[in-house]
Amino acid sequence: MRATERRRAYLVGVGETRYTKWGGITDASEHQLALEAILAAVADAGLAVDDVDGLVSFAADRNDAIFLATDLGLPELRFAAMVWLPGGGGACAAVADAALAVEAGQAEVVVVYRSLCQGQFHRFGQGPGGSGRSAAHAPSLRRAVSLLDAETAFTMPFGMFNPPIAYAMAMRRHMHLFGTTSEQMGEVAATFRAHAGRNPRAVMGGRPMTLEDHQASRMVADPFRLFDCCLENDGACALVVTTAERAADLAQLPVEVLGSAQGAPAGFGHGQYVNVNLPDELYASGGGTAVARRLWEASGLGPEDVDVAQLYDHFTGLVLMTLEDFGFCGRGEGGLFVDTGALAWPDGDLPSNTHGGSLSEAYIHGLNHVVEGVRQLRGQSTCPVVGAEVCLVTAASGVPTSAVLLGRGR
Amino acid sequence: MTEGGRWFPDDMPVPAASRETLPWWQAAAGHRLLVQRCGRCGQVRHPPGPLCPLCQSTAREWVELDGRGTVYTYTVVHQAFLPSLADVVPYVVAAVELDGADGARLVTNVVDVDSADVHVGMAVEVVWEDMGPELALPRFRPAGGAS
Repeated sequence: MRATERRRAYLVGVGETRYTKWGGITDASEHQLALEAILAAVADAGLAVDDVDGLVSFAADRNDAIFLATDLGLPELRFAAMVWLPGGGGACAAVADAALAVEAGQAEVVVVYRSLCQGQFHRFGQGPGGSGRSAAHAPSLRRAVSLLDAETAFTMPFGMFNPPIAYAMAMRRHMHLFGTTSEQMGEVAATFRAHAGRNPRAVMGGRPMTLEDHQASRMVADPFRLFDCCLENDGACALVVTTAERAADLAQLPVEVLGSAQGAPAGFGHGQYVNVNLPDELYASGGGTAVARRLWEASGLGPEDVDVAQLYDHFTGLVLMTLEDFGFCGRGEGGLFVDTGALAWPDGDLPSNTHGGSLSEAYIHGLNHVVEGVRQLRGQSTCPVVGAEVCLVTAASGVPTSAVLLGRGR
Repeated sequence: MTEGGRWFPDDMPVPAASRETLPWWQAAAGHRLLVQRCGRCGQVRHPPGPLCPLCQSTAREWVELDGRGTVYTYTVVHQAFLPSLADVVPYVVAAVELDGADGARLVTNVVDVDSADVHVGMAVEVVWEDMGPELALPRFRPAGGAS
């Protein structure tokens, strides 16, 4: 079932800073938070910072690995990479690339990190803002500064500013095709909020939410209400990836990377964030079907083997699409699946986002979902799934995406 | 269909053109709605780009459309993400499948309509908004000009 002859990669350390509401961290830079999360993950593993020889991030990270290596005083940087998959779509690919580097012998101890202080910079959820033009300066065509700039020229001027608006359109199509309802999306939001209530790190831990609260929340971009949209936060987290040999005598129970996959289907571009010219069956999906198929093939496992899942939850409705993409239910059946209480800890068939997810713990571009996956398999989650041996973690759907399958180490 | 109107504020984000998309925007400024087609195999693509993804040819040509189409999907935006949109919300962002364009879809707005009346499959026609002397954007209204 597994290629036991090759080097295996293990997750041996996790760390995070405090998580706050967007703009809540003013006493330290995003840069410093990245370093603090890395140091916390290294300490959690029982390693020294001098052991680190690789750094990986994603989502157009502002905190370049080459500078972090110098800040940390690393003896030598042997591997540094950033994932091309946009935004949260790269969260699991970053872990996968670190694992590939370790498995290939390019590095021994690779730290994956993500720091996000949106109060100090641009807000991902906000779009570009206005042109800043006054009536004295008539709007005129600009020269594109990047491929994405030329692509979003066909969306931004029409008020499709940001992810809630773009994905609301894909979700509307899903509702049109399959009869998915707002209440089914609310089930996702309320379930993850209940999980967050047990998690002291969760930004919304002290704010219970019922389905009625969800239905009463204001409309942002129909069909997405405020409580269908993930949080925006300040904070950072990191994970340490190393070899089986190094993992064997460290501080924590190691968690194995059983399999990983990343990529995008034909013609996907930036996904539904920009691209409305996708085949119908792809437009109303998370776009992750092929990634899922390759993940199951790589691991020799299937949806029936998953004990617990951490599913990227930028929007409630896209969780439904992800469940379909990964084969937990049929196409269009995501709403019916969550209606059964499947995602709820502890009694659901597929307890998911046991930390609260991006809807209720924090929005660290989904790297905190991998952290929670590790905690689950160590038995350290605040919503522990007893006896869990396999955890699926998915990155953002609706953009080129990635996923990892994690297993309890021996 | 050259009649125009104003629906959105002056400080909406302005489009940026690449070498490949510039002719599309220049045509729009003259109230002409184009779609790009491969000069070798005839495959239509939008947005415009340098290479045909089917046959990898760089040969390309432009097809002028009659401005009719059908709503493929849409959202009603209730939050004013720009202060200047406070008096505009709710507004409709839609993907419109363009007639005569092999199913190519355009992100646009449906205007001159009660947002509650917009639906998937709705027949629409182009109406131009002049944002500046050399910048016009194609919006759509219910076909026949009334909702």
